[in-house]
Amino acid sequence: MARHPSFRARKAVPGKELSTQIEARIQQLWPRFPEGRAGQALCLPVLYLAQEQHGHVDAEVVDLVAARLGLTSAHVTGVATFYFMLNKVRPGRYHLQVCTNIGCQLIGAYDVFERCKKRLGVDNKGTSADGNVTLTEVECLAACGYGPVAQIAEREKPEIPLYFENLDATRIDAILDALAEGRVPTELGS
Amino acid sequence: MGLFDVKIISEHFDVPEARTLEYFERKGGYRSARKACGMGPEAIAAEVAASNLRGRGGAGFPTALKWSFVPKDADTVYLVVNADESEPGTFKDRHILYWNPHLLIEGMIVAAVALKVRNAYIYIRGEMARENKVLQAALDQAYAKGYLGERIFGTSTSLDITVYRGLGAYICGEETALLSSLEGGRGWPRLKPPFPAVKGLWGKPTIVNNVETLANLPWIVEHGGKAFADLGSGRSGGLRLVSVCGHVNKPGVFELPLTVTGRELIEDVCGGIKGGRKVKGVIPGGVSMPVLAPDELDVPFEFDALQKDERIREVEVRPGQKFDLGGNRTLRTMAGSGGVVVMDDTTDITQAAWRIIHFFAEESCGQCTPCREGTGWLAQVAHRIAFDHGRAGDVDLLASIADGIAGNTICALGDAAAWPTLAFLTKYRDEFEAKVRNAHRPKGAA
Ligand SMILES: Cc1cc2nc3c(=O)[nH]c(=O)nc-3n(C[C@H](O)[C@H](O)[C@H](O)COP(=O)(O)O)c2cc1C
Ligand code: SF4
Ligand code: FES
Repeated sequence: MARHPSFRARKAVPGKELSTQIEARIQQLWPRFPEGRAGQALCLPVLYLAQEQHGHVDAEVVDLVAARLGLTSAHVTGVATFYFMLNKVRPGRYHLQVCTNIGCQLIGAYDVFERCKKRLGVDNKGTSADGNVTLTEVECLAACGYGPVAQIAEREKPEIPLYFENLDATRIDAILDALAEGRVPTELGS
Repeated sequence: MGLFDVKIISEHFDVPEARTLEYFERKGGYRSARKACGMGPEAIAAEVAASNLRGRGGAGFPTALKWSFVPKDADTVYLVVNADESEPGTFKDRHILYWNPHLLIEGMIVAAVALKVRNAYIYIRGEMARENKVLQAALDQAYAKGYLGERIFGTSTSLDITVYRGLGAYICGEETALLSSLEGGRGWPRLKPPFPAVKGLWGKPTIVNNVETLANLPWIVEHGGKAFADLGSGRSGGLRLVSVCGHVNKPGVFELPLTVTGRELIEDVCGGIKGGRKVKGVIPGGVSMPVLAPDELDVPFEFDALQKDERIREVEVRPGQKFDLGGNRTLRTMAGSGGVVVMDDTTDITQAAWRIIHFFAEESCGQCTPCREGTGWLAQVAHRIAFDHGRAGDVDLLASIADGIAGNTICALGDAAAWPTLAFLTKYRDEFEAKVRNAHRPKGAA
């Protein structure tokens, strides 16, 4: 595959590199931005894909992305630390994100969230002792009429394009049971 | 056909095939896009001006007027769709993206012709993975048919649309923060002026419009601006998507005339309050907007009415002292994003207020001191009051912090935190004071 002319030599990061899928995506997106702007514009999409590959965004991933896009590591770090969806620390295998904002709060989101905390033995942003589930309280997911709502991510796997809506004790228990079994209950999502 | 039956955007919500280009075209889709290519920029702009279309993203700014700020001699103009929908209580753009993505694409073609845009971007909220897939599939279909790309529909117009995903930051819904993010940086808002229409993406004139705003354009091109204005009320044209959540029997997204009042919305559209209980408060346009008390619900949920109708009390800093919005204006409420949050009489208003304030504190980008520090203090004091540790003077403290934030920040997030805080205090002050009075005191404290 012809490299885009803007390609810069990658700084070697032992044991880590960006996947060929990411490289393909860079080649695809690059011409969508004006001359001289693509490298920086691709910072967000490439960081997100790199997280999907490596599980979280650490200093090494930052360096990889910076070198590939011709950016300073300082810029990429600034971006990586700004956005909520980029994990600064390695999450559990599953990342369960429960909305507790007003629409969901009014119809029982904190009951759902407390139940998760209790069953997993964690506080907000904590990971269960077995490393299986990280629990995070999140802001409105734009599904307020169908709340309480949660979203699940699986580390180093493609994202799950589902919301888990209308949560109550029964439904959240079913979700937690499935995650404990090592399975995302996609049948409960929409 | 009754007024409630007219639909501009939501007719095919809940029809899965509506996502396909074939279905969309069979129902008349892309006719307006073709027509627009033949009309030329001035003719489209004239129809949009006649339509009284106002922005559905939050500010209700007249769309044609915003477009007119683009310098006439600009060599490059960008169109950016704000699909970052993250104002709590708001979930209508997500419906358009999921159920009717081609309508947005068609609206973008109309806008692109009107603004002489060659490259357009859709900034979609990162969490919307499902909608991203649907939207990308719709774009692929449109490209395959020659409706996007070089010489669309065989005309001399060319247009590329690129989807750009956010990564979880409410502030990126603010248009200048959105542009900072789309350029690949932190989502930091920029001081206005210059406005994006003059100096936006990569320094070029840029129009940022909300998803719903653009989705109205095909109808306007098909039926004419006047017909759209006639559907509306006063200076606001068309219908409006309203998303309703909270304690109603039938929450959801509804496309309604702008004349519908809060009470009609709850009773007639949403089947009343759950369990036959009573309404206690209604947020009319996303949590940035001041709450309405039960006796303020007979005002139409229309942009101007919510700002000016005297049946809605003016927000105060403390009893008797009206909040100053600048320029001798007072604040009642606003139609905002169309996200309606209904709270029944079992709601602890102090806890609801705390959750909203907590959200703004979490989402402040940290650039300006009054917002960064102020929202943090607000959240601390509001938490204290709501969870029974309030101290004497806390209610006034909350109000004075909010008053100190409002009007003193780079972007409107500061106001968005201050306004609802002051409105809750204006309308439910007794409840806050009672919470403080009955707070648990540590042993030995007065
Ligand atoms: C803090 C903040 C958050 C915002 N979030 C959104 C949003 O999620 N979606 C949106 O369309 N507009 C949002 N806006 C409004 C935009 O800045 C902008 O006014 C709007 O996208 C313009 O489009 P319109 O004229 O079509 O309404 C937000 C504004 C502020 C101050
Ligand atoms: S008002 Fe708040 S969110 Fe807006 S720029 Fe200032 S600190 Fe950032
Ligand atoms: S408040 Fe939970 S999805 Fe909006």
